[in-house]
Amino acid sequence: MQIHKCVLLILVSWGMAVEPALAQHEHPASETKTETPETSQQPQPETSAEGSHHSDGPALPEGMSLDGVLDYAAGPPPESYPDPVADDELKFFTLFEQLEYRIPDGGGADQIGWEAQGWVGFDYNRFVWKSEGELAFEGQDQGESETDLLYSRLITPFWSLQAGAQYANEWESGDYEDRWSGVLALQGLAPGMIEMDSSLYISEDADVTAAVEAEYNLRLTQRFVLQPRAELGFAFQDIPDRAIGAGLTDANLDLRLRYEIKREFAPYIGVRYGVLAGETASVAESVGTDTENVSLIFGVRLAF
Amino acid sequence: MSDIDPRVWESWSRRRFIGTGGRAVLAAYALSVPGVARASGELARGTSSELDATSPEGIDLFIERKTIDIGCRPSSAITINGGIPGPLIRMREGREALIRVHNRLDESTSIHWHGLLVPFTMDGVPGVSFEGIDPGTTFEYRYPVRQNGTYWYHSHSGLQEQLGHYGQLIIDPADKDPVEYDIEYSIVLSDWTHMDPYVVMHKLKTMEGYFNFQRPTLANLNTQAEATGQSFTEVLKTRFNWQRMRMDPTDIADVTGSIYTFLMNGRTPDENWAAVAQPGQRVRLRIVNASALTYYDFRVNGLPMTVVQADGQNIEPVETDELRIAVAETYDVIVTLPDDRPRTLFAEAMDRSGFARGTIGPRLDIEAAIPECRQRPMLTMADMGMMHTVMNGDSSDAGSMEHGSHGDMSDAADTAHTNEGSASSVEDLPTSGLPERIEHGPDMHGPGSIVMGRTRYRQLSDPGSGLGDDGRRVLTYSQLRCLETPSDRRPPTRQFDLHLTGNMHKYIWGFDGKKWSEADMIRFQYGERLRINMINDTMMNHPIHLHGMWMDLYAGNNYAKNPRKHTVNVQPAELLTVDITADAPGQWAFHCHVLYHMKMGMFRTIAVVRSLEEEAANADS
Repeated sequence: MQIHKCVLLILVSWGMAVEPALAQHEHPASETKTETPETSQQPQPETSAEGSHHSDGPALPEGMSLDGVLDYAAGPPPESYPDPVADDELKFFTLFEQLEYRIPDGGGADQIGWEAQGWVGFDYNRFVWKSEGELAFEGQDQGESETDLLYSRLITPFWSLQAGAQYANEWESGDYEDRWSGVLALQGLAPGMIEMDSSLYISEDADVTAAVEAEYNLRLTQRFVLQPRAELGFAFQDIPDRAIGAGLTDANLDLRLRYEIKREFAPYIGVRYGVLAGETASVAESVGTDTENVSLIFGVRLAF
Repeated sequence: MSDIDPRVWESWSRRRFIGTGGRAVLAAYALSVPGVARASGELARGTSSELDATSPEGIDLFIERKTIDIGCRPSSAITINGGIPGPLIRMREGREALIRVHNRLDESTSIHWHGLLVPFTMDGVPGVSFEGIDPGTTFEYRYPVRQNGTYWYHSHSGLQEQLGHYGQLIIDPADKDPVEYDIEYSIVLSDWTHMDPYVVMHKLKTMEGYFNFQRPTLANLNTQAEATGQSFTEVLKTRFNWQRMRMDPTDIADVTGSIYTFLMNGRTPDENWAAVAQPGQRVRLRIVNASALTYYDFRVNGLPMTVVQADGQNIEPVETDELRIAVAETYDVIVTLPDDRPRTLFAEAMDRSGFARGTIGPRLDIEAAIPECRQRPMLTMADMGMMHTVMNGDSSDAGSMEHGSHGDMSDAADTAHTNEGSASSVEDLPTSGLPERIEHGPDMHGPGSIVMGRTRYRQLSDPGSGLGDDGRRVLTYSQLRCLETPSDRRPPTRQFDLHLTGNMHKYIWGFDGKKWSEADMIRFQYGERLRINMINDTMMNHPIHLHGMWMDLYAGNNYAKNPRKHTVNVQPAELLTVDITADAPGQWAFHCHVLYHMKMGMFRTIAVVRSLEEEAANADS
């Protein structure tokens, strides 16, 4: 009958099921088993914790003795077992906080601007990249970008310490300049839900600069979000090649209003007020460059 | 094989046909759903097919990917014998269960018998009890059934639970059932999403608050002021405080009705799962929360219900109007319709972002009014463990805290580090008057844990956020008293503290700041009685489930009456104590039953071993 076949099948596969357990059991590491005098001293459970009419004794796998199970339990599970939870998988994320079109108020070429970052890695240790830049949409071929490639480690619940390198470049018509810098950064969430990213750069020419970014998301409704943002640049010495003076060098103050059609797709409009400061401003003035400008911006915030 | 095997019909227990044959009516209902479009997936859900796993020939379960319609939208589900939920499995206490699980998926699967005391190799946790069931293979589960009550079963592989891989399991008692009832119905609550659960996890991991559309905003400032009776300034001050602490008081559920469809027996609220009961009949509802993540607040709208069982264990009947059922818990309640009007079975998601719903009435073709969802609750500073704001609560509670503090904080702190199998005295631990609260020690558990306030306190009489303030009686853990005292009620002789920890911003979850992959096994000594003080450092509820052994929940009453639970809910900032008889040798899973928390590391392997000293010595060598 079919039932008999079933039973046979069960018995066979039963044997297969307990096989790994038995294999483990035969492992020499478990030689210390049996006649351990402690066993007899253990408070034996009077009955299994169920009602009195149940069979006594612990629930044991078929074909295994209590000692066998206790030996097995003391060791790691067999190699062939998968992890019960895959809690340390490689993950990734990319966020274009800004991907936008900038229309300067005082004339000048319209710009395409971006500010993006992403990571690949695990909960505590990650590879992080950050990129920001701007290029002229029309007129001459001109632009600049900065890309940070960092190892990032979560050092406290809210803060990551990051270290790595930055590649920065600038070009205008035929001119192309670039430089590498070493980066040390602290990124995280400050009290008040302010997202902060502070970086210290040491260029290949040994110039030391710093950048501090802070932003806050003010929820107007569940989908409308107003985001003020500030970005400040500092230099620790004059850098004539880059027309930078020591001290606060420049600031960008942005305000963006986005609508989260989806959390990862949010068109926005906004304004940017950019200003040069201190010695850097003076240098700019002396060569007749604007020291401040206001741009109207619109773009989309994207995440993957 | 067809969904309804003739054997199923034959094997229905006789009670099926006692009373008015509610079950037969139910089955008939499944075949002719009035007012519901009979889409292809329709029959696949809530068909209430029933299988007797302790029949001599055993049962077969087929795990299969199937496209079924949920909320009029086709979706790929993992079904058991073609349905969501899977078939109702029945067993009889004292017999042997035999279940053949056929994996027709293209990935490994498993079934865990939630709450059943089985040999560890039959417990169904890949990586702990066995290797899992490979695609195309069959695994035979066979174990003696040594208990009775309402339980459930589900996959323990990957995120399959979110895709429908669960069902209810009822064990009929060998002796007379102390619960008297005329008819019974299964109520399997669950949450469904059309989004791939791995995508859900990616969103949780990368964008905080992704699914929360009930956050504090400028626009709802006024609503909050009205709901709390606070002035604008006070509301702003409160909000500022939360912002300062980098926390979101509306973070009640990680995944919400924004993508979840809440199901009752596989049916959406619109599809209205319906049960028939005549006025005066004692109706037993066997409720299980098979959700991946959603806590439900369940009531039979407008009727009192008598809770008779919790986690499969009979309790002294307690009448209530509403109960919060944590993920993986079960409750059996008795309700009686006083007249021939139908009533809505209403299960609100804890964050009020939606509800599951059904109807109970004398006929199938009538519906009752559906109540409105209540205001979504907001966490308070007390949920953060800021004690000063707790004091405006129940003053008698506060009094007893002072009173019962002879154990005091320092006591708990002293025992905090006895975890690693160090020789502990064999002195009996107290079984009453345990400390009402403790202060968090200096160890903040590293970057995987955000610890805000320091005070953790017992909340046994606290119905939980959003409940208990609208005149309804709400079941609390302090009301659970086991009907019969289980055999082993020795005082425990060893204890340790276990912090439930998490970093909501990074979506890292664990115990004592460590994920499963970062931590060693926890060892119990075979035969010992031990105590775990669970200390919730997070601001979320965590349903903590121990496999293979009962947790005797310290409910603050007579020790002999503490209920046995397989899953205990630990509220934000709660201190909750369970005592365990380590009578199940082998390796077991112990974890938070919020699927995504578990998956992110809130999981431990428990090894029940011969001797803790021996283990410590082995580990050193």
